[in-house]
Amino acid sequence: MTFYGVLIPDLKKLADTLKAALKGKGGPALYLSLVGLVAGFYAIAAIFITGHGHTINTSSQVPWGLQITTYIYFVLISTGCTFVNFFGYRFYEKQYRPFASRVIFLGIMTAAAAFFSLATEMGRVDRMYNFLISPNPTSPMFWMAVWYTCYFIAILLEYVNIQTGRHSSRVMWGAFIIAVITHSTLGSLLGAVSSRPYFYSALLPIYFLFIAFLTGCALTTIVAALTIKEQKLDEEYHLEPFVKFLRIGLGLAFLTGFWRLMIGLAGHVEGSEVFRLSAANNIWFGLGVAVALPFLMLMLSRKSGWLAFTGLFIMVTQLKTRNDLVVGGFKLPVFRAYQVPEVAHYTPSIYEFLVLVASVSLVAVLYIVCDKSGLFEVANKEVQ
Amino acid sequence: MEKFEEKDILEIMQADLQRALKKPRKERRWAMAIDLKKCIGCHACTTGCMSENLTPPEIHYRPVNEEEIGEFPNTSLRFLPRPCMQCDSPTCTSVCPVTATYKRDDGIVVIDYNKCIGCRYCIVACPYGARSADVGLYYTGDFHSQSYEVENSGEYGKSYKRKSHWHSPIGNARKCHFCVHRIEKSELTRCTTTCLGHATFFGDINDPGALITKMVSRPNAIRYKEELGTKPTVYYLL
Repeated sequence: MTFYGVLIPDLKKLADTLKAALKGKGGPALYLSLVGLVAGFYAIAAIFITGHGHTINTSSQVPWGLQITTYIYFVLISTGCTFVNFFGYRFYEKQYRPFASRVIFLGIMTAAAAFFSLATEMGRVDRMYNFLISPNPTSPMFWMAVWYTCYFIAILLEYVNIQTGRHSSRVMWGAFIIAVITHSTLGSLLGAVSSRPYFYSALLPIYFLFIAFLTGCALTTIVAALTIKEQKLDEEYHLEPFVKFLRIGLGLAFLTGFWRLMIGLAGHVEGSEVFRLSAANNIWFGLGVAVALPFLMLMLSRKSGWLAFTGLFIMVTQLKTRNDLVVGGFKLPVFRAYQVPEVAHYTPSIYEFLVLVASVSLVAVLYIVCDKSGLFEVANKEVQ
Repeated sequence: MEKFEEKDILEIMQADLQRALKKPRKERRWAMAIDLKKCIGCHACTTGCMSENLTPPEIHYRPVNEEEIGEFPNTSLRFLPRPCMQCDSPTCTSVCPVTATYKRDDGIVVIDYNKCIGCRYCIVACPYGARSADVGLYYTGDFHSQSYEVENSGEYGKSYKRKSHWHSPIGNARKCHFCVHRIEKSELTRCTTTCLGHATFFGDINDPGALITKMVSRPNAIRYKEELGTKPTVYYLL
């Protein structure tokens, strides 16, 4: 199997891309991403050198913050890319095929970026080997690690198959099923926390899958729209499946988001007041701005530029919604007393923001460099 | 001071402890009872615990919370010490992905600082907020901490120095462990011995003759958030 030029960029083309970038011909997106990556790496270095105590704003009251949000956000995007790849191949093969290589590449990169962020959140990331030597099968987090490994292998195989022009339906099905298991397990990680009514729900694993589909659709729509512009493809023909996927994704997100909120508001167990506390934000932003508005935006136009903007809008609003979900679970302290604040407040530190920037920039830099080096053209040539 | 059979309750509990330690570990079941009517909110248990376990800022194994009971104007204040509940059916142990936190044969939930990966899932899962993340803060507030802040805490009978954020227990979850290192030396928990109002009772509830057994069998003994099914072994006497 040829490695260079098929699975990773051809070295000569890669060198040409880097030379062009050094000469100032890389394009603003690449330079912006590189700046983000440098700033992000600075923050990550600071976190590892000086420790969480001086860099991170999470606490015992709010133990998970923006880094876990970033992790979940990227993991769900990765799953969404796998879903888009599956449904694209299954139902719209001809329209979807020119983007398959990019979509699954982004699936791998976003999964890597997710771990990038997670690593900075762990108190002792150097002890991750304990997952192997001292596993706890009762922990959803342990199973998440197991399934995540399987998922990573499955999407790598799918990528290899697409790039080498030997696409296998079995591998595609395998990747899809493993993605469903893996990311519903991630949902169960929060959904199984019985002490936090904001999380504790059988709906959460399903909610995660639907949101994964939505955010994956949003990213792949941006990529498809830009590719269509670049390669002058028929935009109406090629973007049709993405518009359908986005509409379905938004519909599913609205359905689960709405019922999660309604069921939460009906709750009378200790701590379920958090749903009332966050209802306004969940309605106007979570359902209105993040779901209903993009649905209306899709009705306005189907031009590639507008769809790319809609995709970007969904991605940005969904990031805030993910943060609202993760941090919302800690708003009400589990043990209430006079000296414990009634509502826990959390504002991410600059370092936490920069970890997010690093994760976004990592995906962007790798995608842009591989794109400019012609990596994604290989699979399309095989198709032709 | 409350006395039983003309003896100080600390002496009684000390005798109970020594009797319990003669049994195999799996036959003991350590428990605590806190008489809320006797708690005067002096925080002696909190400071005693901090000096015993050398806990850093924002980590309190045994805070004394203040609770308001009733509705205005018919309200009163109650002090509510909150150690780890050492649940019989703990949520923290089942979520730990690497079995760093587990329940010992004698019922104490402990953390293996050398295994903990600092994922904080146990902190999220604990319904009592009894766990904290040691992120490496010092009272002196800078990187060059004072010697007393990095001293060997002796928790779990082991040697842990907080030298940097790559040295446990920094980076780990931390919690009350019923002063397991003291128990094994035949000493009562620090919070029990420092309690000015003698509101804290400690011992082996598998011993029918122990003072703690009498306390937890009182009709006014309750367990916090019992509806969650966690079966705490810390009782509150109302």
